[in-house]
Formats: sequence, structure tokens, C-alpha cells
Amino acid sequence: METVLTMRNIHKRFANCTALAGVDLSVQKGEIVAIIGPSGSGKSTLLRCINSLERVSAGEIIVNGETLVTTDEQGKVIYPKDKEIRRICTETGMVFQHFNLFPHMTCVQNISYAPIRVKGQPKAEAEARAHQLMEMVGLKGKENAYPAQLSGGQKQRVAIARGLAMDPTLMLFDEPTSALDPEITGEVLAVMRKLAEAKTTMLVVTHEMGFAREVASRVIFMDQGHIEEEGDPAELFSNPKSKRLQAFLASTLTI
Amino acid sequence: MNFFGDSLSETLSYIGSIMPSLLDGLWITLQLFLLTLVMAVPLGLPLSLGSICRFLPLRWLCKTYIWIFRGTPLMLQLFFFYFFLPIAFDIRLDSFPTAVITFVLNYTAYLAEIYRGGIESIDRGQYEAAQSLGLSRTRTMLGIIIPQTVKRVLPPVANEAITLVKDTALVYVIGVGELMKASKGAVNRDSNVMAYLIAALIYLACTFLLTMVARRLEARFSRYEATATAVKKHEKRRLFGSAARKER
Repeated sequence: METVLTMRNIHKRFANCTALAGVDLSVQKGEIVAIIGPSGSGKSTLLRCINSLERVSAGEIIVNGETLVTTDEQGKVIYPKDKEIRRICTETGMVFQHFNLFPHMTCVQNISYAPIRVKGQPKAEAEARAHQLMEMVGLKGKENAYPAQLSGGQKQRVAIARGLAMDPTLMLFDEPTSALDPEITGEVLAVMRKLAEAKTTMLVVTHEMGFAREVASRVIFMDQGHIEEEGDPAELFSNPKSKRLQAFLASTLTI
Repeated sequence: MNFFGDSLSETLSYIGSIMPSLLDGLWITLQLFLLTLVMAVPLGLPLSLGSICRFLPLRWLCKTYIWIFRGTPLMLQLFFFYFFLPIAFDIRLDSFPTAVITFVLNYTAYLAEIYRGGIESIDRGQYEAAQSLGLSRTRTMLGIIIPQTVKRVLPPVANEAITLVKDTALVYVIGVGELMKASKGAVNRDSNVMAYLIAALIYLACTFLLTMVARRLEARFSRYEATATAVKKHEKRRLFGSAARKER
């Protein structure tokens, strides 16, 4: 199997707290990895390190065979040049909790902007692809709508399409349904299921235990900046080994 | 002083007699206004970007510039350039070019601060989304941040333009023959304050026009913030419009 992402001994320290305390994680092509855990456990930070929205304090990240960051024997963190970082980051597509669509652009413009400007795709080609992607996420007919004219669930689906337009080898989802009303999380999860069926490699930080259990091929439970437990979703949910996961699952079920 | 004492026809003929000089003044006022706006609006942008850039010397330079030009009276700046340039550098400019230069320098500083506020009000998520898509810093500013800033800074920039119309009255202190000086001349010569009243109405007309233009621009730039209901309304109107046309 082909390894898409390797993270070794990732540390991330902020001014007055440690967000990640030595995380090792690798993702194979076609895998759907769900990361669960209480808030403040470092899930989002881990995800943000992968496309360098956060710089690690120590560790090594290899995305699709290319080194995004490495640490030498003296503990010095080595990142390549900005341009190189940007290039490696286009291997990953990011979907944010708050969508972060560009409000001054229509859906098609949102989706085709980066392919045109970063990859140098011809405009017609990029827009044709954007139309396809809009259909794929079930938003045919909304191509020329502005984000403000869409509901939260629709916005998030456009954001997914925007991430996919760059043909990333790995899609990152940072709590994609947390900002949505409960009754419309379904439409976003449906699109993600569709991606899963198409064997898109995904790393999903989520609070949707149902989604993690049904769709993920592997579930990772993070707590206090490290991976506490990981494994097959059925096994992990029905037979949690660590005390913390047991407590976490108990608390999410009572909610 | 005879303000309301005259008959209507006498008043009208007096107004007619002072109008040419007032309109000449207005023309100078408009020139100063337009030249300042046309130069200061674009120049404010590099200055605002400089004042937030990560290269410290440039940032300090821009911030100092803004501090000086926002921190001293515009009238003092007019005097300064009018008297300082000839004495220090032996550069002799007419009063009008001096006024334009001073106004551009001053308004660039104000506009830069407005732009800075606008740029900094854009959500951090926009930068993150752009970065995650691999857009360069320059591309992010030009394609994502600045277009959104334009809409946000329009109201304060329009406000600044209205202030500018009135600020042009200051340049009579260095002898530029604009509307204020023309009306003052008429008032002093004829001992009749009618010229001030006319000047006030002309200034009001100018600012009224500007307000209208600003409103149009704001509507145009907030197009993309239309809510779903507004769009539905628009679509409905379009539908009914086409139906009506078919009936005809």
C-alpha cells in the first residue's frame, strides 16, 4: 500500500500550552481516518500542521513522499522555502469548520480560482471541472450563486468541492459539521460518504461518532496532545480499552 | 447690509452678477477635489500595505508618515509647503500645485489608515483558506483580501470624500481662488452675505451628489452579500418581467 501521509513524533507548543506531545500517524492511500477526542486534545492542531497552517515545534511530516518538515539532531525544525511549502500543501485539500468560502466570488469562481491561479489550468477547463464538482456535491443550479445566498450545509459542500478541485492526494476535514444545525449535517456527511465510496483518502476530525463508526476505516482517539488509542471503528467503539476513551464515549452518548 | 430688503428681481440680478466669479471658484474647487481623490485613493493602498508589512523599517517609515500627516492641521501643512519648499529647496510652485500636493499627501495618510482597518477586518479564515489552496501571499492580497476590503472601506472613504469637498475651502489661506475665496471676495466687496449663502448651497449640492454616487457604489459592491430572499425576489422580478414581455 502507498503511504500518503507520515507524521513522526510531532510536537506543537504554543506560548503557554502544549497542543501536541509526540504524535505518530501514517495514512495509506484510500484510507478514511477519523480523529475523535475531547476539545483541546490537539485534533485540529494536528490537522493544521499537515498543511502548515501551524508550524510544528518538532517532528517530521512527509506528504505524498515529499518532506514538508523535518527535525535535525540538534532539535532544529527545518521547513523548506515558502514556495516549496505552498507546493507541498496543494497535495492536501482542507475543509474548515467555518467553510471560509470567498464571499466575493460565485461558487464556480470559488472552486476554479486556485486551479487557474496556482496550477495554471485554462479558465474554461477549470470552470467545466467546477461545474462537474458542483453536480457531484448535489448543488447543480447554484453555480453562479454567491456564498451568502447559500445555507450552511450548501456552503460546506461548495467548500468540499473547492478542496477537491486541486486534485489533492489527501483531503483534510476540520470538524466539517460542527458549525451546522443538526438537521443539515446529514447533507454534508452524505457527500463525504460519497467521497469515501470513491476511495478518496480522508483525514477527518469529527464529533460525529456515527460517521466515524460507519464510514471510517480507522479511528484515532486523541487526548491531551497524543494518540491514546486507535483501531478498527467497530472494535474501538464497542470495546474501548483505555479509561479515557471509555469516559469520552460515555460522555458523548449521554449527550 | 441688505439681505431681504431688496425686491426679488434685484436679488436675482445681484445673484446673476456674482455667479460667474463663484462658478470660476467652483471650477478650481472641483479640480482640487478630483485631483486629490484620483491620486490619494490609489496611493493610500501601498501606504496601508507598507504600514502592516512584516519588514520593520518600511513599516516604521509608513507609520511615521501617517502619524505626521494625520497628527498636524491641514492648514499648517498648507503653510508649511507653501513657505518651506521655496525657502529650503528653492522650489517655487504656484499656490494651486502646492495645494494639490499637500492635499494628496494628507489624504493619502487618512485613506491608508481606512484601508488598513478594512484589511485587518477580514477574517483570518480567508487567509487560511487561500493558504491551504496554495495561493501565494501576493495573490491572496490581490485576489482575496483587497476585493473584500473595497466593499468594507467604501462608506468611510465616501465620508472622507465629503470631508475633502469642505476641506478644499482651506486653501484660500495660501491664495488659491476657489469657491470660498470667491464668495469671501464678493461679500467683502458688496457688503452682502448672499455670496456665502450661494456658496453654502453649492457645497451642499456637491456633497449631496457625492452621497448619491457613494450609495450607488455601495449597492453595487454589496451585490454578493445579497441574502437568499433578496435573490428570490430578484428572480421573481426577472420571471415576471419576461412573462410580461411575452404577453406583449
